[in-house]
Amino acid sequence: MRLEAVGKRYGLRQPWVVRGVTAELPAGWLIRLSGRNGSGKSTLLRVVAGVSLPSAGKVTGRPHTGYVPERFPGGLPFSGREYLLHMARVHGLRDGEGRRRVEQWLERLGAAGYADQSLRSMSKGMCQKMAIAQALLPAPGLLVLDEAWTGLDQAARAELDAAVNERVAGGGTVLFVDHDQARLAGREDERWNFDGTGGVKVMSGPAAHAVTPAERFTIRLEAANAADVIGQVRAIDGVRVLSVDPDADGRERP
Amino acid sequence: MTALLRYQTAILLRSRRWIFPLICYALLIAVGAAGSTSLAETLDWSGAMLVPVVAFLTRGMLTAEPDAARACVAAAASPVRAQLAILIVPLGTGAVLGLAATVFDVLTAEAAAAAPASGLPGKVTAAAGHPGILVAGLLIALVCLLVGSAVGALCNPPLLRHPAAAMLSTLAAIILALAAGVSPANAAIGHSTAQAATPLAATWPGTGALAGAACLLVVTWGASVVAATRRDTWSVSSG
Repeated sequence: MRLEAVGKRYGLRQPWVVRGVTAELPAGWLIRLSGRNGSGKSTLLRVVAGVSLPSAGKVTGRPHTGYVPERFPGGLPFSGREYLLHMARVHGLRDGEGRRRVEQWLERLGAAGYADQSLRSMSKGMCQKMAIAQALLPAPGLLVLDEAWTGLDQAARAELDAAVNERVAGGGTVLFVDHDQARLAGREDERWNFDGTGGVKVMSGPAAHAVTPAERFTIRLEAANAADVIGQVRAIDGVRVLSVDPDADGRERP
Repeated sequence: MTALLRYQTAILLRSRRWIFPLICYALLIAVGAAGSTSLAETLDWSGAMLVPVVAFLTRGMLTAEPDAARACVAAAASPVRAQLAILIVPLGTGAVLGLAATVFDVLTAEAAAAAPASGLPGKVTAAAGHPGILVAGLLIALVCLLVGSAVGALCNPPLLRHPAAAMLSTLAAIILALAAGVSPANAAIGHSTAQAATPLAATWPGTGALAGAACLLVVTWGASVVAATRRDTWSVSSG
């Protein structure tokens, strides 16, 4: 998946909330978005998740997506379990499989005993668990978490950490925002820093450092069989991203 | 898409947003059937009353889902399909109501047809058994259904988010749709019965009205879908 010069604003005369974001989102990566309140993290997350289209640039190669919004106020005329069964179908799961996964996630998040309550009467934390469960139901290739941990009890927070690790290990891409800097600390492959004026700086995270000191090599390779060479470089242990310029410049980052 | 339609239909049924439009429409149809002098008039009335009913059903569906829940659905199934499902469900509900009303009109007119027919309105009533009259009635309902849906999509979130502005413009657009000469709904219901030569011609809404209504629907739904893919927040508390 890839973002190319992505920008978002809500109206032609409105200021850009974020702009000029170019990034690769490789499978199996964990990406942390950080920045102060109002710097555009949630807006960019919605664009990445496909909830809204970018005003500039484009998003390509998005896999099946699960999105957990910042606040999930319920408000729908369903019980928690009914809502999740509907969402399982919307995610394209068959009834039997959907039912099984709904029960599995309700159990894991410690919400099975409360799932027959109406969404309208649920506590903030319980509503948040429903929002998390609906996003995790399809084991999505892209999981987008907008402060999904807030309002959860200790056990559910640990379970969500585990779920994120499982998604990353299973080849999914996970983007998250959380104001607790200790959240999944040292696990992220990349960190996107929002400067508050619409700019986003993409930096490699501690997980990338853990392999070798983060460095970015620009290697010029001239070869007739470029495809073979690229394949060989990609196969080298520790190469995390390889981007190739159209004019045959190969760039790799360990 | 089936899952989305099922989800939106469940929201419509469980939120009880269908009760008020249904009761209103049933009352209006009963009043129309009791007060009109011919089948042509009854069919026009049933069609015309479908415009406000479908417009407000559409408004109900466009305001039923909280922003966050809609975002989850959009991520799972694309915002375009999510928005189409929101618009299709009230359209389908309106289609059921329009069908029921037209059949009711034709069936109850047959009893009255036993009375001697005088003038063209009487002849339309007398011809109630003719399948062409039923089809004509259904086409009137279809034109009004499409116009009502277009009004609902145009005057409500995400295109028009302020609640008071949305409510007032929905009402104004309904009146315009029924009264203005350029409106396909007006063309479908407002033809002069006296000038028509045959019962069928008196009832037939005309292909122009149908094409106009279809165009209106495509344009307004398109605008609503485009806005839905660009705006994240539909609810606003103040101007």
